[in-house]
Amino acid sequence: MLLKLLDRLEETLIMFLIAASTLIIFVAVVHRYLASASIPGLQDWLLTLNFGWAQELCIIMFVWMAKFGAAYGVRTGIHVGVDVFINSLQSRMRARFVVFGLLAGAAFTGTIGTLGAHFVWENGLGYALMSALGSTGDYFEGPTTPDLEWPTWIVYSAIPLGSYLMCFRFLQVMTSFLRTGELPTHDHGHVDGIEPDGVPVDANPYNMDDDLHPADIKHHAGKGDGK
Amino acid sequence: MNAALIFGILAVLMLTGMPVSISLGLTVLTFLFAFTEVPLEAVALKLFTGIEKFEIMAIPFFILAGNFLTHGGVARRMIAFATSMVGHFRGGLGLSAVFACALFAAVSGSSPATVVAIGSILLPAMVKAGYPKAFGVGVIASAGGLGILIPPSIVMVMYAVSTNSSIGALFMAGVIPGLLLALFLGFTTWYRAMRYNYPREKPHSWGERWDAFRKSIWGLLLILVVMGGIYSGMFTATEAAAMSAVYAFVIAIFVYRDIGFRDVPKVLLNSANMSAMLLYIITNAVLFSFILTNEQIPQGIAGWLLDSGLGKIGFLVAVNILLLIMGNFMEPSSIILITAPILFPIAMKLGIDPVHFGVMITVNMEIGMITPPVGLNLYVASGISHMGLTECTKAVWPWLMTMLLFLLIITYVPEVTLWLPRTLGML
Repeated sequence: MLLKLLDRLEETLIMFLIAASTLIIFVAVVHRYLASASIPGLQDWLLTLNFGWAQELCIIMFVWMAKFGAAYGVRTGIHVGVDVFINSLQSRMRARFVVFGLLAGAAFTGTIGTLGAHFVWENGLGYALMSALGSTGDYFEGPTTPDLEWPTWIVYSAIPLGSYLMCFRFLQVMTSFLRTGELPTHDHGHVDGIEPDGVPVDANPYNMDDDLHPADIKHHAGKGDGK
Repeated sequence: MNAALIFGILAVLMLTGMPVSISLGLTVLTFLFAFTEVPLEAVALKLFTGIEKFEIMAIPFFILAGNFLTHGGVARRMIAFATSMVGHFRGGLGLSAVFACALFAAVSGSSPATVVAIGSILLPAMVKAGYPKAFGVGVIASAGGLGILIPPSIVMVMYAVSTNSSIGALFMAGVIPGLLLALFLGFTTWYRAMRYNYPREKPHSWGERWDAFRKSIWGLLLILVVMGGIYSGMFTATEAAAMSAVYAFVIAIFVYRDIGFRDVPKVLLNSANMSAMLLYIITNAVLFSFILTNEQIPQGIAGWLLDSGLGKIGFLVAVNILLLIMGNFMEPSSIILITAPILFPIAMKLGIDPVHFGVMITVNMEIGMITPPVGLNLYVASGISHMGLTECTKAVWPWLMTMLLFLLIITYVPEVTLWLPRTLGML
């Protein structure tokens, strides 16, 4: 139940971020051109608006999208690798490599998450927390972003949050692989706009059953060449 | 020594089949932890600042734009227009496939997506019209490669980002090679069709052609938004990408009506998923190139190569061979992000134009997509045709040879690439 909620939250967040940043850039560009056109009334009002922060916000949103989207990507099995070698192995051996790969992913993201958390703590979270409690101690207040003047620790907290989530996803995929021998599917999904069989047009070309992804045990038992 | 160590760790980690992004990151961590004094906290910060560049944000926007228009309806309109124009020649449907792939490439930016969209409609039609299946697979798998050469192209953005080149100039430079390659592939198609006497379609009147053109123009205008916007200086490349995403949304929902509002979340999620995966590779590749620079490896390799008396021609041959081999095992974005930091400084020292070098690498990547074991286009083609990977590989060889010839021309005649951007004053 809680996991379902987390899944939904993750999906909603990245969908929102990509849509919102597109809109922001669109509005900022349109604003730039409309404000320079001399339309009485409208122009004065437009000139009072300032979109100088649009670019910065867009970058921040995309970095957040990249971090949480990468975690979502573990769940959908989209991350590409060089799997030619392991896909030519017997399934027992291949399973070991798959587990090793997933563990390595968890170890890397866990380390990065911890490093990031430390960084965020040193650069303002510590100060913010302590000043809320009454004393700032010897913590550093931390810098702010140039245009929006947001504290950078809030912005950078995408690293620990996203990385820990990704670490969790790696472990999640690993336990389900150990239990069922199944990896997140690179299924061809259903067909949009093009009927009978064949690959759907909205298929994700980075998510095919190929040697960029490890072949799992459930669907490719025995000595597979990954197909 | 350090270079061998770093690339050794990377190669071993990658061979275990873990994601490329994770192998890059772990290589950096291992190396920093075991062999240097660089504080590890710097790594965490780099992970954020690594993609804090507005240019990189063109990637998610182009993916989004492409995904709105990577739809059966759009592909069908392009195919109808292509068939009306070239269908009456010998091997008409094959030529239409090449033409339609070129048109579709202008909206999609991704090769496998082009193969899927055009192939799943045209391949059954070709088989029905009496073409051998292998012929269809060969044409479509190789012409799909136009997706990364004809702008907007995500692979080119990757190259521009990792070498600080101009996205606009690269896109402009891709136009003539893209059209030329379409011509080359079309010629091979026509030649084989003549030889084996493949069928032709009935000719279309100019009225029908105009009608088909009118229907496909809305999708094609996307490239005008991008190229016109960048060239006229109205938008930066990233803004152009965002505008094209909004344009694609409007066209898909209100003009073509192929998808409805309830499909939008799916497109968004799919695009976010794809972009995040690529951005994650970029982040880790930035880390990786950070330690390479820190250890002065690119300079070292460059110095060693130049001392050994390797000239421009020899270097380009070596790069082509290296990239063609890598193309057999990895997908384009990772290859570019890993090799560009090393190859680019050498190319600069040898006086090779950065834009020319970028287009050459892109053509290499295209060839990598139709050579096994990892040829994305081949996988997709084998998926839609239900033919084995080996048969698909055999099917593409005439076009593969054509592309190798084309690569030679691109490599040694830089003017093909550079003439247009230079004439337009973008270089």
